[in-house]
Amino acid sequence: MTKAIRIHAYGGPEAMSWEDVEVGEPGAGEVLVRHTAVGLNFIDVYMRSGQYPQPAFPAGIGLEGAGVVEAVGAGVDDVAAGDRVAYAGGPPGSYCESRLMPAAQLVTIPEGLDDNQAAAMMLKGMTAEYLLRRTYSVKSGDTILFHAAAGGVGLIACQWAKHLGATVIGTVGTGEKAELAAAHGCDHPIIVCEENFVAKVRDITDGAGVPVVYDSVGKATFNGSLDCLAPLGMMVLFGQSSGAVPTFEIATLGAKGSLFLTRPSLMAYNAKREALLASAAALFEVTAGGQVKIEINQTYALVDVVQAHTDLEARKTTGSTVLLP
Amino acid sequence: MTIVIRIHEHGGPDVLQVQDVALADPGPGDVLLRNEAVGLNFFDTYQRTGIYPIDLPAALGTESAGVVEEVGPGVEDLSPGDRVVNASQGSYCEAMVVPAANLTRLPDDVNTSDAAAAMSKAMTVQALVESVYPVAQDEVVVLHAAAGGVGLIACQWLKSLGARIIGTVSSDEKVDLARANGCDIALVVPRDDLVARVMDETDGAGVPVVFDSVGNDSFESSLKSLRCRGTLVSFGQASGLVEPFRPNILAAHGSLYLTRPLLDDFVATPEDKAKCTGRVFAMMASGTVKIHIGQTYPLADIAQAHRDLESRKTIGSTILLP
Repeated sequence: MTKAIRIHAYGGPEAMSWEDVEVGEPGAGEVLVRHTAVGLNFIDVYMRSGQYPQPAFPAGIGLEGAGVVEAVGAGVDDVAAGDRVAYAGGPPGSYCESRLMPAAQLVTIPEGLDDNQAAAMMLKGMTAEYLLRRTYSVKSGDTILFHAAAGGVGLIACQWAKHLGATVIGTVGTGEKAELAAAHGCDHPIIVCEENFVAKVRDITDGAGVPVVYDSVGKATFNGSLDCLAPLGMMVLFGQSSGAVPTFEIATLGAKGSLFLTRPSLMAYNAKREALLASAAALFEVTAGGQVKIEINQTYALVDVVQAHTDLEARKTTGSTVLLP
Repeated sequence: MTIVIRIHEHGGPDVLQVQDVALADPGPGDVLLRNEAVGLNFFDTYQRTGIYPIDLPAALGTESAGVVEEVGPGVEDLSPGDRVVNASQGSYCEAMVVPAANLTRLPDDVNTSDAAAAMSKAMTVQALVESVYPVAQDEVVVLHAAAGGVGLIACQWLKSLGARIIGTVSSDEKVDLARANGCDIALVVPRDDLVARVMDETDGAGVPVVFDSVGNDSFESSLKSLRCRGTLVSFGQASGLVEPFRPNILAAHGSLYLTRPLLDDFVATPEDKAKCTGRVFAMMASGTVKIHIGQTYPLADIAQAHRDLESRKTIGSTILLP
């Protein structure tokens, strides 16, 4: 038996309960992982509240974790018992002490990286990786706009974009967050409730607009984001913290300058094992080199996850949060 | 005096009116152009119906080719007698006064009818396959309306880049034409199943790019034909505008890219424009891209020309003769 957080219906933080569950033996291609640290992400809130539907109830929550391999099933060659591993994505359910995971989704944690760091950075860090290096390849000299620059992905992306040689414009909610973003490489933090970000971006770029906008806010920022783009620019919509973007017409992309729109997901980008390994390797390289620092600004006992969700939704957390089993 | 084709209201082909108007003398920077052939584009029908906004009354037509008759003060790079291709609003006419900047001198080895019929289409193709999505050797691509004016040029151009082309056409008669222009597989839609064929040809992966000017009727099959992280290039809507949709649909089909290119954005600077027209002239002059003028109408029969274009009866490019 092991303990896990589960939900039996969609709801608020209190919908999550700490329960005994049976784990079972790893089947072919599976690995039994004992977690030492679990990552907290905004997508977990969507999966709890029903904004992203779950396949069935009771359902596990959580898409990120780090730990130790306890046992491997048939045909698993990449990892062995005792290995330290981490992962992002996969079937929800990382909020637990132990679980079975498909071996194809695990990466080995390199020497010198501790488990908490690994658990805190896999999902947000590989998200920043594919956004900045693959969805649109940020080049030295680019000026980019990254919304929610002080969020979990935002702080990593600011540092990484800076490392790639970009000038980073970021939107944030408060003055405190503006300082935080600036400390992580955001050249021009814009406090959205005090300043019009479209006008500010035009101002900073001498009217030219930016070649790419990274937008995880969604409904509240979508149209403004399109207006920040230079002709042929790329709108990267990768989340919807303010709600889903309503329907729009293709013609809008033409009218605003032959724009590109994409709605990427980490799962699609890292679906192939080679892509996952390359993504993780790039992340480990910039964290080991110190170009990207992962800051764990809060930790909670996993059993206190209700409080962790409450704080996350109230926007009280900054940087990354780790849950300890 | 010259004949012009004007609309005073948006609507069907019947709103196109043939009118006689006086010609002004070319002012500073302007040129008096005598058209020898006028091009017909789907774009013109969008202006007629109002899908693309235009102030009324409006003179329609956007491209033609002919001879410079007179130049205004300050025009130095063109002289009377020069053969030119013209990109100007109001080109459905016998003669017109246009800014010199709208004209490009034609090389000797590019003929006037081909330029009038296909200049903007060929420039569109250049932008689509070399800039919007630079197609690489051996890539499998989907091209809708492969036997249309843009389609036939795109087939030849894509072939010269080494691509394998899965095209769609609207009738059996167009299959051979598309194939003769380099389309490897020509499917008659909606009868033939595009998505099934694409999956067959790509081991279930899908294609990296779909070029779609059909719009509403093809949108769904375009999304389903794309591989993970593929690009849907929507550059027209011959079957009507795509219904408004949620961006999340792009995630559901595998982190797709969607773009809606307009040629003007790709030839915004004189350098970009010269590069694009240079590529087009080279492709036409070398015979790599041949222009198929499938039908010719007297300019005064413009309503019939629009009718035939919209009912997908025309093949290849069309010219109107003043």
